[in-house]
Amino acid sequence: MRRRWIAGVVVLALSASFLAGCTKDEGAAGDGVTKEPYRIGAVLSLTGTYAGLGTPEKNAIELEVARLNEAGGINGHLVEVLYEDDATDPAKAVAGAARLIEQEEVLAIIGATGTGQTMAIRSEIARAGIPQVSMAGGSVVTADFDPLVFQTPWPNRTVVPFTLKALKERGLTKVAVISDTGGYGVDGHDIIVKEASAAGVEIVTEETFNPGDTDMTPQLTKIKAANPDVILMWSAGKEAAIVAKNMTQLGMKTPLVGSPGNGRKEFVEGAGASAEGFRFAAGKVLVPDAYGKESEAYKVATDFIARYTEAYDTAPDIFAGHAYDAFLVVSDALGRVEGDVTPASLRDAVENTSGLVGIGGTFTYTPEDHNGLTEDELVFYRVEGSTWVLDK
Amino acid sequence: MTGSWMRRIGGFALPLAACCLLAAVPLITNDRYLFKVLTFVGLNVIVVAGLALLFGFAGQISLGHAAFVGIGAYTCGYLTAVAGVPWPIAVLAGSVLAAFGGLLLAVPSLRLKGHYLAMATLGFNEIMSVLFVELRSITGGNDGLRGIPFASIGAWKIDTPSGNYLLVWAVAVVVLVLVGNVIRTRPGRAMRALHGSELGAMASGVDTRGLKIQVFALSAGLAGLAGALYASAVGFISPSTFSLEFSVLLIAMVVVGGTGSLAGPVTACVLLTLLPYADALIPGLSKDAVAVLQDWEADISGFAMILVLLFAPGGVAGLVRRAAAARRTSVREAA
Amino acid sequence: MNSAELLQFVASGLQNGAVYALVALGFTLVYASTGIINFAQGEFFMLGGMLAVAGVRFGLPLPFAVLASVAGTAAIGLLFERVALRPRRDSGPLVLIIITIGGSMVMKSLARHAFGPNELTLPPFSPGDPIVLAGASIDRQVLWIWGLTIVAVIALTFLYSKTKLGRAMRACSLSHDAARLMGIDTARVVMISFGLAAALGALGGVAVAPLTQTAFDVGARAGLKGFAAAILGGLGNPIGAVVGGLVLGILESMSVAFISSTYKDAISLVILLAVLFLRPQGILGKRGREKV
Repeated sequence: MRRRWIAGVVVLALSASFLAGCTKDEGAAGDGVTKEPYRIGAVLSLTGTYAGLGTPEKNAIELEVARLNEAGGINGHLVEVLYEDDATDPAKAVAGAARLIEQEEVLAIIGATGTGQTMAIRSEIARAGIPQVSMAGGSVVTADFDPLVFQTPWPNRTVVPFTLKALKERGLTKVAVISDTGGYGVDGHDIIVKEASAAGVEIVTEETFNPGDTDMTPQLTKIKAANPDVILMWSAGKEAAIVAKNMTQLGMKTPLVGSPGNGRKEFVEGAGASAEGFRFAAGKVLVPDAYGKESEAYKVATDFIARYTEAYDTAPDIFAGHAYDAFLVVSDALGRVEGDVTPASLRDAVENTSGLVGIGGTFTYTPEDHNGLTEDELVFYRVEGSTWVLDK
Repeated sequence: MTGSWMRRIGGFALPLAACCLLAAVPLITNDRYLFKVLTFVGLNVIVVAGLALLFGFAGQISLGHAAFVGIGAYTCGYLTAVAGVPWPIAVLAGSVLAAFGGLLLAVPSLRLKGHYLAMATLGFNEIMSVLFVELRSITGGNDGLRGIPFASIGAWKIDTPSGNYLLVWAVAVVVLVLVGNVIRTRPGRAMRALHGSELGAMASGVDTRGLKIQVFALSAGLAGLAGALYASAVGFISPSTFSLEFSVLLIAMVVVGGTGSLAGPVTACVLLTLLPYADALIPGLSKDAVAVLQDWEADISGFAMILVLLFAPGGVAGLVRRAAAARRTSVREAA
Repeated sequence: MNSAELLQFVASGLQNGAVYALVALGFTLVYASTGIINFAQGEFFMLGGMLAVAGVRFGLPLPFAVLASVAGTAAIGLLFERVALRPRRDSGPLVLIIITIGGSMVMKSLARHAFGPNELTLPPFSPGDPIVLAGASIDRQVLWIWGLTIVAVIALTFLYSKTKLGRAMRACSLSHDAARLMGIDTARVVMISFGLAAALGALGGVAVAPLTQTAFDVGARAGLKGFAAAILGGLGNPIGAVVGGLVLGILESMSVAFISSTYKDAISLVILLAVLFLRPQGILGKRGREKV
């Protein structure tokens, strides 16, 4: 009995000292700068299903915040970003957004990582009247228009027509669609079905798989029987690599075309030799030459890639790029606000973003369009020698 | 003398004081974040009360209660947001539909024992998860169901976080009193007999099958009620909230709290729900500490569950009972 | 549909089924010796793949990395039983089950801290073109999965029927008290079954990782499928676990082939529930009587 109490006391004391240690170094920021820092909230999925997306996003934002503050901040104000982990749970995203708004009184929220979490915090955003810049690619984020909500990734409604056009140009008109049943796959699938006839391609068969599935040979066997020109896959998870490998296993020579979500080194590693020849559309960050060597975008991208790689020992993926853009949109708007920075004036400044060169493209928002990216920002890639090259 | 006086405090004054404290929170603070967090706690308390009844007293395991929360949430959300049904009717419909779902599952399942029942309810949860995603015309699929209006009774709209907090906790208190009464009265005694030995209960004339089905439907209905309140308090629902993980966490709350008790599971539910939101209660907590807490939340919850059960197998309730017993002994010795 | 396509569906079902069977065997072993469901079983599957990747990155040759991962996971299983479960072995199954749930949360989260949130790749055991069998193409790694499953089943059968330890395990599954009276060290038997269960789960995880990659969060699904397979075959019956796993795998691939790939998981669960309601002891289980 007594031993147990001692153990309990020891555990308590340890955790108390641990928390105290964490509390200590506050107030270090802000030497030399007397102005109140700008406070921005970020709701990210750092744990749970989307941890693989939220973690590079946080890395990118931290990198940019440090760089901006070392350079003196914005108009003499430092920028402080406060992070909330939503654990890929909409309810936690809502609570996190509420905390950022109520306790931290943030001017804007960057986030969330996923579409569900982004939509979930909308009511909090509306009540506080602050701008939200989302890094989720779901079409619904900006298609279901909200004056406060902006988006940095290319939504499927932009990528899908571009991809279908590229297929048509290459003479691949009999398309078999395979997509996952998660939000990204369903959104992509629906737009593919809607846009197919306009793009002049024919959908010969459709198959799906569930997140977490480990073998897609049954679906591919059915697709093989339909004899398509090309298989168009819409999925961002690790299952995409399994599809590529299963095709090799079945001896299928049909070309496989994917989505921006496959522009991750984990996909190329996972699919190995089966990834060779795999094509997909995405922004230009994967091969910065695509921006044009003389362009400003090329300098922005190569600079970011170099700094990110140095800091984290790995090249940034597209999600890091979306987060870079989201922070850029907010910090750029902060610099353009005339007079007092309030949530309302910041929102207006974000909406007036024009010709802002980021990683995902050049952002120009209008009162009608809060995504502001066009097909011009996309290029077609091919995997060759375990890396990405432009597919002309 | 002292003992019975103390027991009266435990049985009456303590819950009353807790109610006063709950009601007083909006007078002390207007921190909307705190209200949100406490609203989540209240919702979980409603589910856990029903589950404690089912699991702790009737001895029936359910790994599918998140699905019942989901049925309540989607029913209420769809009826208020899309069909324009008045809120009280939508909440009622959500609870009744969840209870009905519980009934349908209970009739064939409760013939099963222990692990088979666990599998049946777990399978039910997984099937419902697929349906929440795929029945897109009702549920909105993965994008979720948005624009669910706040609770309103007639023209009176409960649209503030403090109002939602008070609403949810008022319901939670009513539910706790109701469940407490069920436990103390004849059905409760019959249930405890069930938990001890089914054959024994049958021998003493308890209709075990009917009783089990009733309790299952009641606890599913309470989960549905919590889901309906969740939908109108948060305004947005999506399938991932009602996952198997949530079901497992609910059962963990009951066991950590102590089976065969109501106060224990409720206490454990409050503590485990608050864990990731520790910063709501400790205002001075630094941002780094909060980030560390969030990053390590699952580890801390997991270790907490293991440690509580290792060092206090009766759960929180067992600890309290032991402390009270020790106190009584020492009082008696002093006298 | 021609016979080659049908065979391809069967091969796919048997591939997933064999992995389910390995995880299910782990559930069965622990259930037989303790009467509890080990919710951490899926995490042993995850650890198998993750530790092997870590071993390869550390510079171990692949075969050693695989062996070290299975042995390491077995050690984690032993340790978990000794530290977290044995002190409470008289508290009834519910407390023990919740401790395993706590254990699974901790293992999953620690794996994320240690290996990061992204999926990791393990090289195939024997690279090369797929084997074509009567018109169905089969990846070489799948042959490894089948081979390892068969070896595991044979080894377990031998252990159960021919060794002293196996007899002790069988005695424990009938009655702990009786086994103890017969002079069997039941605590040791329970600990060893946890170690074996962890090794079997890890074997499944490491064998499938070259095909599917692995990540910190693959355990929950593997555990769910393995649990379903174990129940389908009749909990506590090793042959049943294998049959249950294979049947579940085939059910899934046939659902994709003939009904719907979206509802594949739901369909197999509905069939599982139907089996449970009509024949709760599983396909191979014996109808039991409740002890009074």
